[in-house]
Amino acid sequence: MNGRYRGFLTTFVLIFLLHCSPALRAQDGCLTCHQTMEDPRAALFLKDVHKAKGFSCADCHGGNRNAEDMETAMDPDAGFRGVPSGDEITEMCSTCHSDGSAMVKTYNSILPWGQKALLEASVHNKLASNGKERIVNCATCHNAHGILPVENPASPVYPLNVTKTCGKCHSDASYMRIYNPTIAVDQVDKYRTSVHGKKNASGDRKVAECASCHGSHEIRSAKDVKSRVYPTNVPETCSSCHSNPEYMAGYGIESDQFEKYSKSVHGKALLEKNDIGAPACNDCHGNHAATPPGVASVSNVCGTCHALNADLFAQSPHKEAFDEADLPECETCHGNHEIVSASEKLLGVSDEAVCSWCHGGDPESKGYKTAASMRLLADSMDRAERRAIGLVEDAEQKGMEISDAKFKLRDARQAILQSRTMVHSFDEERFREVITAGIAVTAVAGSEANEAIDEYYFRRWGLVFATSMLILLSISLYVYIRKLEKRKETGTRNSAG
Amino acid sequence: MKKRLNILYEWVNDRVHLEDLVEFLGKKYVPVHSHSVWYYFGGVSLFLFIIQVVTGILLLLYYKGSEELAFESIKFIMSKVAFGWLIRSVHSWAANLFVLAAMIHMFSVYFTKAYRKPREITWLTGMLMFFLVLGFGFSGYLLPWNELAFFATKVGTDIAGVIPVIGKPIMVFLRGGEDVTGATLSRFFGFHVAVFPGIFTVLLGIHLILVQRQGMSEPLHIERGGGSGGKTMPFFPNFLLRDLLLWLIVLNLLAILAVFFPWELGQKADAFAPAPAGIKPEWYFMFMFQTLKYIPAKLWIIDGEVFGIMLFSIAGLLWTLVPFWDAKSARGEKSRRIIYIGIFVVMYIIALTILGWLS
Amino acid sequence: MENRTEQPAQPRKRELLMWILSGGLFGMAASILYPLFAYLKPPRLGEVETSSVKAGKVDDFQVDSGQIIKFGTKPVLLVRTPNDEFRAFSAVCTHLDCTVQYRREKGVIWCACHNGTYDLTGRNIGGPPPRPLDEFRVVIQGEEVLISKKA
Repeated sequence: MNGRYRGFLTTFVLIFLLHCSPALRAQDGCLTCHQTMEDPRAALFLKDVHKAKGFSCADCHGGNRNAEDMETAMDPDAGFRGVPSGDEITEMCSTCHSDGSAMVKTYNSILPWGQKALLEASVHNKLASNGKERIVNCATCHNAHGILPVENPASPVYPLNVTKTCGKCHSDASYMRIYNPTIAVDQVDKYRTSVHGKKNASGDRKVAECASCHGSHEIRSAKDVKSRVYPTNVPETCSSCHSNPEYMAGYGIESDQFEKYSKSVHGKALLEKNDIGAPACNDCHGNHAATPPGVASVSNVCGTCHALNADLFAQSPHKEAFDEADLPECETCHGNHEIVSASEKLLGVSDEAVCSWCHGGDPESKGYKTAASMRLLADSMDRAERRAIGLVEDAEQKGMEISDAKFKLRDARQAILQSRTMVHSFDEERFREVITAGIAVTAVAGSEANEAIDEYYFRRWGLVFATSMLILLSISLYVYIRKLEKRKETGTRNSAG
Repeated sequence: MKKRLNILYEWVNDRVHLEDLVEFLGKKYVPVHSHSVWYYFGGVSLFLFIIQVVTGILLLLYYKGSEELAFESIKFIMSKVAFGWLIRSVHSWAANLFVLAAMIHMFSVYFTKAYRKPREITWLTGMLMFFLVLGFGFSGYLLPWNELAFFATKVGTDIAGVIPVIGKPIMVFLRGGEDVTGATLSRFFGFHVAVFPGIFTVLLGIHLILVQRQGMSEPLHIERGGGSGGKTMPFFPNFLLRDLLLWLIVLNLLAILAVFFPWELGQKADAFAPAPAGIKPEWYFMFMFQTLKYIPAKLWIIDGEVFGIMLFSIAGLLWTLVPFWDAKSARGEKSRRIIYIGIFVVMYIIALTILGWLS
Repeated sequence: MENRTEQPAQPRKRELLMWILSGGLFGMAASILYPLFAYLKPPRLGEVETSSVKAGKVDDFQVDSGQIIKFGTKPVLLVRTPNDEFRAFSAVCTHLDCTVQYRREKGVIWCACHNGTYDLTGRNIGGPPPRPLDEFRVVIQGEEVLISKKA
């Protein structure tokens, strides 16, 4: 009775309103009815951006919004679809959201479209464990009812809420194990320790959250070469914010890291040679816990790859001195983003040498003397190598077979690399040992090349000798033949006469 | 000293009658005329053959005829063995000069019509030896087992394979299988150091005995004009010493070539590598290779390649049998046709060789 | 008169010619025979064999140790594993061509340049190396350890 009366009234009001105001025409039957039922979905939908744009429940669920009778309104024959689930949701959203003409012309929207295609290319497009639907549909992140614009602080995809939204699944170990038992689930915890995470937590919506690096709809596995977080793509992904001076204004850090990194030995290896063993931004700064390495941790960070150097440094007297002076270990001499291939120029007491920054003052000091004599040793090794290379090249150019000497040049290079490592002991004696051994190996290569060059000249002089002997013999033989013939001629003439 | 030599001579003479040989050589004369210079090319070819035998035996001491070691062993000879570079370069250079000298010798004999009666057998053995020389060249080219040789051999044996009916079995026989592999190398090695030298030595023996027995032929026009007017030089020692003189010069030329243009080794053959650009056969096969390129793929009903090979086979056969169909020369008459054919062949070979090198 | 003046001069001239002739002959013989005999002398480095190499006696290698062996022009790392197995790998790191070594305390093959590690089957298990080390075959003939290329 009551319901019937209310239904009647509603219909009456509706028809009345429909004729008066287009804005109020949206007061559709479904919503009114469900509101009276105190359906929480109806309450949510009231705040929905779609509601504000004039959409009705029936636009998604089908059925007749104007029918006053529930049976008629939710009649499957009239197109009522009920509650869509799984992939149906994605399909439904994409009827508008992946159709440019619908979005722009009909709804005058400035939102991007094509999210469905992007979602399909993403790692989330895998089949869920029930085998019936994709892991993720639109509603997984955007909610079903009460969808809000990204700029709305209450939206689950608002920058400050993204981590929570992603973390719903990604921080749930028992859920994630279903799809990938080896995947980490501590990203959100780590993120909260990062500079990005802390600022995000304090309400800065400009800093990176999950989607800033991983993308929103097109999230790919980090092992996918097209992923924004694949090693070779990481520097560019980070640089999309960090190289933008306007964007970074107010954070008090430079915006030239990418530029410097591209010039560095690591950047060239990664970006030019595609050597994914070379460190990208995240290999030193961490990814989810991205923070600049502290003074104490620099040598450990570099030491993950440059292990021997780090070990030697830690045992050296510099360790204590650097700690006292609060100097970052590797970075003090090598820099951070623009680390170029180390050369012997770093060593010694000249102006360009890093040793002279501290030890340059007093020529009588132990540090000054050690730096100077280590540089001398390094230079002599370098000269020895260059000399050997020159000799080998010379011999090669002369067409001699010197693959053995070339093999030994490898040892020379190896010795130089070893000596560069040994520098970090800052122990002149140990350094001298390595250099002496290196020079000895190099000298063998050089002397083999020298032998080949000598052999080259020996061949030529041998030829000169053999040729002169042959010429001598040929001429005397020729003279002999002439003599013989002359004698015969006179002989025959004599006998004839 | 002289006395002792005399005693030795007498001792040997007593047993094998050396005096007959000395008398024979003493009576042997070489005609002297405007074309005498061609007589030396037979001697040069002989000398180069001797060089090949000596250097070839020396190379055998270190060479290993197997797929894994052939290339490495040549590299070893070139770099580790004292004077190995010299021996190997001389062997390679002498091989090429040998083909050249043999060609000049053959054409000079052809143009002076020295093949006419009674020297048909000398010509025949000579031609067979010439084909063997080409066989030496073809088989020896593969032995270093480098990239160029590998593919040149592949192409060369492929060509043999297109002959109808008998081609395929010949190709399989040459390659020791369907493809050029280590088995081919073993086979070619066997031909190069055992089969060919054996046959060659027999033919060379017959050839030399005949030359000594029959003496040098005089060109027709000089013979008809009353011979060289009796102008001769004794074969021993005058002609032989002149021969020696020329040999010395050739030896020196070889040494210079070996030092200044050492024979390259290239890259080790890799059956799975793509064929390198610019595969060319040895220069003496170039004219045939080039001709096959010019012949259209289809001639009436026969395959162009088959046609070319048949053409060369027939031409080679006719050339070899020239003493038997050149009736005029046999009768001692002038034969312009032979000269024209010869000039055409020489021009053709030169022109196509040049074209082959330019392409 | 003429005869008398020529006669004594000729033998001397001929003698000189004979001297030069035999000198030239001798020189030429030397320049042919010297290379020939030098060639026949076996070279000190022994025969060429790059398809396999003798690494040494089994007892030369301790259990749980590694040693660099020269294989042609490449270095090869011969490892005698803790389980007393012999294994050989190309000693050239697949990252930047440094020479790798066996680290007993870690039980891995290790590259000092960038801390790359390989396990004892040559697989790259840590650090920058992009792919495993090439493996060589080890054959033990009596007391001899032979390394050869894997077919």
